[in-house]
Amino acid sequence: MATDSNTATAPVLPPPRSEVGVLGWIRANLFGSRFSGALTLISVAVLLVGGWSGLRWVFYEADWGVISQIGGLFVLGPYNTDQACPGNNCFWRPQVGLLLVSMLLGMIWVVAGGGTGKRVAITVAAVAAAFAFLPYSLDRMGMDVRLLLLANLPALALGWALARYTRFGTVKWAGIFAISGFLFTLLLLRGWEDGGPGLLPDLLFNWVPGLEPVVDLKDWGGLMLNILLAVAGIALSLPIGIALALGRRSDLQVVKGICVVFIEVFRGVPLITLLFMSQVLVPLAFPRDFPLDPLPRAAIVITLFSSAYMAENIRGGLQALHPGQAEAARALGLPGWHTTLLISLPQAIRNVIPAIVGQFIALFKDTSLVYIIGMLDIVEESRAYIQGNPELLASAQELFIFIAVVFWVFCYGMSYISRRYERHLGVGER
Amino acid sequence: MTTIPRNLTYQGIPIWRHERIIRWASQIVSGVVVVALVAWFFINIGSAIQERNIPFGYSFLSRAYQTPIGQHILPYESSDTFLYALVVAATNTLFVAVVGIILAILLGIFVGVSRLSSNWIVSRIATIYIEFFRNVPLLVQLFFWFYILLALPPVREGYVIAGNFYVNNAGISVPWMAASSPGAGLLWLAVAAAGVVSGFVVHRWLGRREVQTGISSYPVLYGVAAAVLIGVVGWIVIGLASGAAPFVSSYPAPAGRFGRIEGGFTASAGLLGLLVGLVIYTSSFIAEIVRAGIQSVSRGQREAASALGLSPMKALRHVTFPQALRVIIPPLISQCLNLTKNSSLAGAIGYSDLTNVAKTMTQTAPAVSIFILIMLAYLAMSLTWSLIGNLYNRHIRFREG
Repeated sequence: MATDSNTATAPVLPPPRSEVGVLGWIRANLFGSRFSGALTLISVAVLLVGGWSGLRWVFYEADWGVISQIGGLFVLGPYNTDQACPGNNCFWRPQVGLLLVSMLLGMIWVVAGGGTGKRVAITVAAVAAAFAFLPYSLDRMGMDVRLLLLANLPALALGWALARYTRFGTVKWAGIFAISGFLFTLLLLRGWEDGGPGLLPDLLFNWVPGLEPVVDLKDWGGLMLNILLAVAGIALSLPIGIALALGRRSDLQVVKGICVVFIEVFRGVPLITLLFMSQVLVPLAFPRDFPLDPLPRAAIVITLFSSAYMAENIRGGLQALHPGQAEAARALGLPGWHTTLLISLPQAIRNVIPAIVGQFIALFKDTSLVYIIGMLDIVEESRAYIQGNPELLASAQELFIFIAVVFWVFCYGMSYISRRYERHLGVGER
Repeated sequence: MTTIPRNLTYQGIPIWRHERIIRWASQIVSGVVVVALVAWFFINIGSAIQERNIPFGYSFLSRAYQTPIGQHILPYESSDTFLYALVVAATNTLFVAVVGIILAILLGIFVGVSRLSSNWIVSRIATIYIEFFRNVPLLVQLFFWFYILLALPPVREGYVIAGNFYVNNAGISVPWMAASSPGAGLLWLAVAAAGVVSGFVVHRWLGRREVQTGISSYPVLYGVAAAVLIGVVGWIVIGLASGAAPFVSSYPAPAGRFGRIEGGFTASAGLLGLLVGLVIYTSSFIAEIVRAGIQSVSRGQREAASALGLSPMKALRHVTFPQALRVIIPPLISQCLNLTKNSSLAGAIGYSDLTNVAKTMTQTAPAVSIFILIMLAYLAMSLTWSLIGNLYNRHIRFREG
């Protein structure tokens, strides 16, 4: 018979107090070794000194007045100035565009995103509505502007109800709404004269009342311009990039050659050089009366530049895909195009979502380069403003920190959404 | 008995669904369309050039440029030709690219390793650094640094540190070396380069000997010693031969009526802003690449290294990092390419890089011709980078065996 001492287990002791709780965490993460402890002390010292002087600068020394002075120019650039829009009453057009965005987000809340859509929709509409309470005097930011901003909340509710209670609550209808809404916004931003937008025969549109004044494309500016360029670029560069990636992997030598040359040329030259060339060279390449303003030219160049990078990202995803996937699809009798569209591409794209979103972010940041063709986006508008008012030169740091934060919010937001969406798709878990 | 309908004529796949025909037809059609489109553009450009009397051609290259270039690494006078001005501008771009890449890689590795640190505060700071700087457009960052430098006092009232360092809104001036004669200077630079190369060779040879035989060989010590020795001997020999030291130190000092700083090396506000902006921006991307590379090495490798008694730093240096390099190098090369291309933003803050000079040149010379040259120059740079990348890829694939 075995003695008890052989079978009895030792009592389970609680972990030593230095290993658990706050103390344990501090020991493990801040003072794990002598080196780590020294690092902690140094960084805390640096943070204290830097943080103290930084906070003092932010609250006492910095002069943030320049930001409220520029105010609406950040958002619209010269769009609503006397010279672009006599009477200064064009502000409602971009605001209607924003209302459409809120509506679309309301629809997306219902149809897609798995919780992410809801968060994004509420955040965007709430921030837009909060702008209605900016502490400006009423003659700088009128009651009409504020009401239109507040209207984002009902617009969100409207979109939500539309998707929830009618048959428009599908991804397809949201897509149609997004595309038609974007095109309508472009048309609205420009305005048109009596008799239609001038794109179609006058006979058809004789009855259309005008939307005056027509705002010239060169006067579009501010953050609105950055967002418009980014949205157009993102929407177009993904399909073009997919086409280029498939072309580059094709075994049709001519198609492959064309795609390789296109991708390498656009990737090899700086965007700023391409933009400047679009200003100098492209007008020569088209007949003299070809209607192509600098803004659409810039949009096309940015889109093509971005789609060359996009193509390489997607090609990476396609290459990483196990060939067994395509082989299995073919064994099941799927024709070639169906194999590509239904089997390879969805998996390839899902695997490179971070790279694709990274490219979207890069594209958004690159929209700040349109200064080279004389467009006044948020960065160039601000720079031009302080150049025009030399007494503000001392506030340049405050100004560019503010712009940096604006861009950061958008870019970090994009990567945050993509990370949540990836988790929703279960990338890396299957 | 049912009759089987018989058809004596061939009824294979209709011709428009025959795979080989579709393939050929699609290739021919796409080729023709693209060629036609490109031809149409060029015909339009050609006729525009003729109709509107737009100058074209390359005879301007031998004309005098007659325009000053702000900061230049190579000597430059306004009377020099367009061709030489382009070379000067290209050197400016290359200078920023090379210095920027070296600094960005060093900073990027530092931040990337910090982000993986087991120390909570250090990794948090690194994360904030990365997430902030890579989500803000480079142009905004460049303006930020540039306007900070412009806010410094003007030249006459600028700071003078230790008598020889001048800091003002024209830039920062430091003591530098000036070649006593171009020939001797270049010769010594070549000797010094050879010294550095032989230092690396010695380091590698001794390092291998130490690993293979276990004899302490001090590879770093002897490598540095070899480089320094060759440099010093070259200095003395060239100095004796030409009668003067190949380089003499040159101190910056205010000169002339406006107190402009002359002598030494002056980094203009544009160059400094560009370098600081490019290095910080690119290093935040490189840090992420380094982090992903280190994380791609399996944990067992690090555990094995520490089981063998290597300190964490040694394990990182000799075990983790060499393996991580395989994952790191290809995206790193594309970051180097990006930095080279991003240096074209220099024009926004007044540094005379290739794009900026070309843009100015279009006012007095045919724009079309200039831009063809510029595109070729950038394509050559990017092809060089991808060549380096491909060579390295082949190198590591070979060793994987």
